[in-house]
Amino acid sequence: MILYACALGLCLTAALVALLPARAVTVAAEVITALAGVVAAVAGARATLGHGWSAWLPDLLPLGGLRLALDPLGGLFTAITGAVTVCAAIHGIGSGAARATRAVIPLFVAALLLVPAADSVSTFLFGWELMAMTSLLLVAAEHRDRPSVGKAALWYAVMTHLGLVTIMCGLCYLAAGATGDGFDQLRAAELSPAARDVIFLATLAGFAAKAGIVPLHVWLPRAYPAAPGHVSPLMSGAMVNMGVYGVVRVGLDLLRGGPVWWWWIVLALGALSALYGVLHAAMATDLKRLLGYSSTENMGLVLIGVGAAGFFAADGAGPLAALALTAALLHVVNHAAFKTLLFQAAGSVQRATGTRDLDALGGLRTRMPYTTALFAVGALCASALPPGNGFVSEWLLLQSLIHALPASGVAGAVTMPLAVGAIALTAGLAVATFVKAFGVGFLARPRSPAAERAAESPRTAICGTALAAAACLLLALDPALVLPALTAAVTRVIPVGRPVTGEVTLRLSAITGSISPVLIALALAGAVAAVLSLVRAVATRRVRRPARLWDCGAGPVSARMEYTATSFAEPLQRVFVDALQPESAIDVTVVKESAYLVQRVRFRARVPDRVERLLYEPVLAAAVRLGSQARRLADGSVHRYLSYGFYALTGVLIVLAVIS
Amino acid sequence: MAEPPMERAKSQGMLELAGSVQIRHVDAGSCNGCEVEIASVFGPVYDAERYGARLVASPRHADALLVTGPVTRNMEMALRRTYEAVPEPRMVIALGDCARDCGVFAGAYGVVGAVGDVVPVDVEVTGCPPPPEAIIEALRGMTGR
Ligand code: SF4
Repeated sequence: MILYACALGLCLTAALVALLPARAVTVAAEVITALAGVVAAVAGARATLGHGWSAWLPDLLPLGGLRLALDPLGGLFTAITGAVTVCAAIHGIGSGAARATRAVIPLFVAALLLVPAADSVSTFLFGWELMAMTSLLLVAAEHRDRPSVGKAALWYAVMTHLGLVTIMCGLCYLAAGATGDGFDQLRAAELSPAARDVIFLATLAGFAAKAGIVPLHVWLPRAYPAAPGHVSPLMSGAMVNMGVYGVVRVGLDLLRGGPVWWWWIVLALGALSALYGVLHAAMATDLKRLLGYSSTENMGLVLIGVGAAGFFAADGAGPLAALALTAALLHVVNHAAFKTLLFQAAGSVQRATGTRDLDALGGLRTRMPYTTALFAVGALCASALPPGNGFVSEWLLLQSLIHALPASGVAGAVTMPLAVGAIALTAGLAVATFVKAFGVGFLARPRSPAAERAAESPRTAICGTALAAAACLLLALDPALVLPALTAAVTRVIPVGRPVTGEVTLRLSAITGSISPVLIALALAGAVAAVLSLVRAVATRRVRRPARLWDCGAGPVSARMEYTATSFAEPLQRVFVDALQPESAIDVTVVKESAYLVQRVRFRARVPDRVERLLYEPVLAAAVRLGSQARRLADGSVHRYLSYGFYALTGVLIVLAVIS
Repeated sequence: MAEPPMERAKSQGMLELAGSVQIRHVDAGSCNGCEVEIASVFGPVYDAERYGARLVASPRHADALLVTGPVTRNMEMALRRTYEAVPEPRMVIALGDCARDCGVFAGAYGVVGAVGDVVPVDVEVTGCPPPPEAIIEALRGMTGR
């Protein structure tokens, strides 16, 4: 309780300090924010270990007052937010962000801490709106420098507020059926099944929008590139998690689970997002856009786990449900770690080269060796291969789905193999995505003068990124470290024993299965060493002769001969051409004298977001049409406006008279 | 029916090839007459592959270079680099009169010289263009089959 209050206090202090004009205090603001992160992480960890608390501050907010409580579930998300904040704040020291941006970041962190600790509907909505507003300010921070930022901020504002509206409707409906708006009263509420369905679907829509779930993901690949370098780690490492938190809190805790079809929807949305997200990530050439789509993918995987957990719980298979939820929450932790790392590295790259376009990067290995090494760690973790941390959580998730068969009847027998297939395909494409991001972005030769001039980022930025990398490695080698916290969070909503036990080797208690990440890592290291030494032993027996790199005899190898991100993704684009429907246009300009002599050929290719095209563009176009037609009503005549007011008032009065 | 094996050439490099020669063709400035003959050598009628000679797509995979035409200015550096790229032991076949001594193009302004002026030549095949039989004979001399 005291620690949590300290963390909030430190955030507010940092925001105030950042507003001071002196130069030295800008560093102080980041340091205080980092401190707040440390304190919050400790406070969250303590809550998961059984030191939960609750508090009611009736005077702080009008109406219901501020009602806070930190249980293991909220504690887990608070701890994640704290840890991400530490990395992001250290990374941000000396980043040269504007003063206003510096001041808003701690407020954003405070909002992120407030949401999982909220214990009443009004507090929750207050925290949620604060989170939306502060993050919106941060997304829009650089709107003067780059024109695309304004548009991204507009998309984000609309999506996040539509989400807020549906959450508000859902939660207020729930509160109306209960005796009060405290979460304890909501848990005790007796509602009709139809009302519960409406509440769940409304909140699910809002939370899915925050988590970047398809088809509500459109803001995400826009907002991340728009946000300043050290803000996007906070958004993707900490903020999108709140969507998952919301689904778990409302669906499994406040509504105490529901019919199977709820969780079918969650599972289907998760699988759809995982596939759609990773496909677009594999096609993306903008580094941050790629990472944004990858967030959609990972949140999709998490939702598959949450959906499976709800599904099993509704089916009465408690231990399996607990296992699935553990896997999902572990993936939230893992995703926060590696995405923080990757976004920080991407921020460093953008600062060093001024571009995020993979087709213009490359050759950073010699110029930014530390950032390259750190990004490699993140890419390994994100591609869910051993010994990365993503592997462990995806393995757990697959185990829970594969073993669902005997437990969950026909419905499970159909759904679960499909979900397994979706996860497997996602994992495969994720490997291609991150091979592309790392190989094209960092290795080979620089593809542009900007990449050629890149210089390593300041030491603080490397430190912040290295901290996240250390967390990734720790999670990869010893996931048992966070197991007590996860178990506590899971048993909070699905109260059955411990789903996963063990120290070095993780053992599953519901089904037979175990995994020891350390041993896998050791075996891999041993195998790599053996192959390398064998190759060396064989190769040194032959005579060696230094030779030029083969360039077809046509002169020096240039960066134009390299694979670009676009060309690397092209075979995949061909395979998934029906799903992606890429667009390309070729304009040929011929010389004036003859149609056979070509002066210039211009080729443009684009992989449009189909959801946006099919779902959003018609709605936007209709809104614009409606707006321009409605403009005829407002012709500037004051008399007309007054008559509108008069007729409207009369109309309302007549209606009221008829009703009463 | 393949004829009985031919006498193998005696140079050191050829002994190491053990009956199989991988060949990279380089057109250093030919009129393409020689290429037509090469195509028929590796076609179904003469089928040089049955004697162990095979065309490959990269000098990195090759034992020998099969160079046609006089070496033009534009191809000189490319020929040198291609030769450099072939792993040792390596051999060069100068195919056609142009490759041997510039043939009809001798003294032309774009010609640097014969193949032997640019890279060391091991085997020569005469003719303008050389008939497929002559090419086959030269190749069998190398593969020893
Ligand atoms: S030798 Fe004859 S056929 Fe061969 S390239 Fe020279 S001119 Fe052409």
